[in-house]
Amino acid sequence: MEFVSPESLRLDGCRPMEMRQFRAEIGAVAKADRSAVFEMGNTKVIAAVYDPREVQNRSQQISDQALVIFFVQVLQADGGTRSACINVATLALVDAGIPMHDLVTSCSSGYLNSTRLLVTVGFLPKLDKFTLLQMLPLCPVGLTRIWNVQNLLYYTLIDYTDRCTQPEWILSYPLTFFENIMQLAIEGCKAVANYIREIMLENTKHLEYCQGV
Amino acid sequence: MVGLSLGEKHFIQGGIAQDIRSDGRKRLTYRPINVETGVIPQANGSARIRMGATDVISTVKAELGKPISLQPDKGKVSIYVDCSPTAAPMFEGRGGEELSTELSVALQRSLLGGKSGAGAGIDLSSLVVVEGKICWDLYIDCLVVCSDGNLLDALGAAIKAALSNTGIPRVQVAAGASGDEQPEVDISDEEFLQFDTSDIPVIVTLTKVGRHYIVDATTEEESQMSSAISISVNRKGHICGLTKRGGAGLDPSIVLDMISVAKHVSEQLINKLDSEIAAAEAGEDES
Repeated sequence: MEFVSPESLRLDGCRPMEMRQFRAEIGAVAKADRSAVFEMGNTKVIAAVYDPREVQNRSQQISDQALVIFFVQVLQADGGTRSACINVATLALVDAGIPMHDLVTSCSSGYLNSTRLLVTVGFLPKLDKFTLLQMLPLCPVGLTRIWNVQNLLYYTLIDYTDRCTQPEWILSYPLTFFENIMQLAIEGCKAVANYIREIMLENTKHLEYCQGV
Repeated sequence: MVGLSLGEKHFIQGGIAQDIRSDGRKRLTYRPINVETGVIPQANGSARIRMGATDVISTVKAELGKPISLQPDKGKVSIYVDCSPTAAPMFEGRGGEELSTELSVALQRSLLGGKSGAGAGIDLSSLVVVEGKICWDLYIDCLVVCSDGNLLDALGAAIKAALSNTGIPRVQVAAGASGDEQPEVDISDEEFLQFDTSDIPVIVTLTKVGRHYIVDATTEEESQMSSAISISVNRKGHICGLTKRGGAGLDPSIVLDMISVAKHVSEQLINKLDSEIAAAEAGEDES
């Protein structure tokens, strides 16, 4: 199947290195304490954050912290669902004012010719760290363990420690091959992060206006 | 939902008795209705309805299937409601299942009529392609995104709007198929038939609080109800379905009175909905 036409347009009219149009909105669910909608092309997801509450399940308790629950609902899935969910969750948590070390944005990229590979990357813009969230060899050929993929660090929202991800089983590609698409995905993440910052700024200005500042 | 204090309960009941509700509406006034169509482009038809804070999305997907042997000249429609946990934290996992089932059944009863297919609000015979062999199966899926009371009315309106937005692809049947053979079909990608929705009923829910009925109750008002009747009425004023909720019993004369009030209210609702749907479709065509 032709994924890129001879005029180098993809099936939905984008260029190969171009991201789909994305749109975000804060406060979509009226009754939720905080909520957000994120659309990437045709993929639409909603997130809603509710009150912090007492932890029911003792095993989920971490020292004396309350549990913040947020729900993500996929309205329409047209690829990149995992990325869209992460982006919308970031927006909703930011809107809720939950203290976070950094935003988390996500984007996926891949190769779609004789060698097929899809990666989904998570990115923390302020700390300038990225993490690999998903790697799908779409046509497995052989498996090799890779140990020294640079700068792969895993941050949680509450626990600021350095941890290495588990080494992933991936195909036997040369590292540069893999680095190219990682770089593309990170640029995509940066674009999303800038957009999210703009939305947050607009929202804050709107709040200031409402408060009569 | 946070519980209501005694003072708040009295305020709600007293307001309804005096025909001024907490948000200033009269007893038989709906909240402003906002309709958007075509929100889910991958479905054959979709719509999003907002009544105040209540927000529901409805989608219609059409697939070719085989009609039931007892009704070879009718297509099939199935309605399913899902309560998203974004609407309320208690809907997580299986928490919303009871409410979802209740809403699905009520909608099926109101819009699809009885088991034999008689009295359906939606015309099932328009869905048949080759009698006895091929028909359209419509899967209507609704999602409750945000709940602030009056879900049934909102869902009914969303289904009506989604069906107005639905395009059924044109099907060419190969001639010369005989007997038991499945005919060859060619589903067109280009041409679509618009579904005729002028006969689809709307659902009006009347909630009884004290001695009075209100239309379009919010969650707080619903918590004070003794019983509620949802009536599905079509443009001609015929009743297509009826569901009663709530533990309190009702005198039959009250039920008849509520039915006539619902018929009266439904005329305004149908007109309002039709104009909003037309505006939404026109807006969507422009964009």
